[in-house]
Amino acid sequence: MSNADLSELERELLETEHLDENEEQLTAQNVLDVLEKAWLNEKFSPEILPHKSEYVECMLEQIKFMESNINLLQSTDIQVEIYRFELERIRFIITSYLRCRLKKIEQFASYILDQEKDRNVDERYLSESELKFAMEFVQHLDTHFNSVLKEMPWNLQTIEPANKNIKPNMNSYVFLRSNKTVSNVIVKDVFENRDEDVELLENSQHLLPYSCIANYVKEKSVQLL
Amino acid sequence: MDPSEIEFLAEKTSIEMIPNFNHTSVIHLISGDVGPFRAGLPIVVPLWLALNLKQRNKCRILTPEWMDVDKLEEKKEEEKNSKFFTKMPHEHYLEVTRLLLNVASDDINRADEIKTLIKDLWDMRISKLRSSVDTFVNSGGIHATLDHLTQLEINSIRPLLPDALNMLQALQQGSDSEEEEDTSQNTTRQANATDSFLSASLPSSGE
Repeated sequence: MSNADLSELERELLETEHLDENEEQLTAQNVLDVLEKAWLNEKFSPEILPHKSEYVECMLEQIKFMESNINLLQSTDIQVEIYRFELERIRFIITSYLRCRLKKIEQFASYILDQEKDRNVDERYLSESELKFAMEFVQHLDTHFNSVLKEMPWNLQTIEPANKNIKPNMNSYVFLRSNKTVSNVIVKDVFENRDEDVELLENSQHLLPYSCIANYVKEKSVQLL
Repeated sequence: MDPSEIEFLAEKTSIEMIPNFNHTSVIHLISGDVGPFRAGLPIVVPLWLALNLKQRNKCRILTPEWMDVDKLEEKKEEEKNSKFFTKMPHEHYLEVTRLLLNVASDDINRADEIKTLIKDLWDMRISKLRSSVDTFVNSGGIHATLDHLTQLEINSIRPLLPDALNMLQALQQGSDSEEEEDTSQNTTRQANATDSFLSASLPSSGE
């Protein structure tokens, strides 16, 4: 292919990209924004949060699309490295986010599955593949326990199901920033056995037990820090 | 959270730079458009991009407005005289300074003085933070407001403060009722990571 052809190709590429831009540019940026916030929330919340797999899928699609476009560019082009660099950054966020969820699933597997049982299909916190992973994980864990316990003295051969069910500490303290003013947040004072009313002003930062703001995290009124 | 991840977030900051190359079409990144680049004309780009181009000798970074010796001097005075935390000129002031001074110290005026000032500010705020954490825990508070603290500052007390409060809570519940659950199971500590970042971040120029 001659040089002229190449630059022709490049221009076409940019044009098609440009067409997409008008419709998609805002959304791609928004999707990234949503993922980044979800990543931070997931990192800091003690429990697993509702999954964002539709955003993850969408972003992976976008990355794939960008990558195929990059491959059409000349490798000496300054854009190539800039595009690649950005994709690396986005990939980091996605992998870190998914890994963080897997860690929680492994830690609280049976507890999470118990909770998922009571939720409708569209209200599930785990994505389909995460659910599958969690179920397999619990199964393997049980098989493992059973084979080990068989070798134990007879009085140690059973484990109470309750002891296997590790729960996240929902009262653990978290840092947060309020995206809008939220009033009447009830904080339980375990020391004096009374409730305290707290108002979270827009953009203010707080340290609170997770349980009293858990719902606000899910409805995006507050962002964990 | 690892301090390097906060640095990663700080790299999203916009910064002005002057490229020394031409690239006439706009580059459509997922996080927004950049360009067109014209040699000699200042342009605003994300910090990560500016640092990358700088490392390849393709641009000159302009010092951000707030990174100015006089302004920082003023800020330091204000922080010193205030009982509370004052608003910082930038929400990632330490990280941005560190990144810029590492990669582009030749583009920053009076880089050494800025380094010392930022380090002073940080030290002052961290010692203020530690003493207020101490007061807070001793007073038996259950809720704290942390306005004007930056993410990195919050992260520096993360290994300690929330865990300590969780522990206190668990002990309290334990003494209230015997069927207390083990609440301390899910803590991973990162104290060392934070400490090493602090000492590695901006060594004071006196050393």
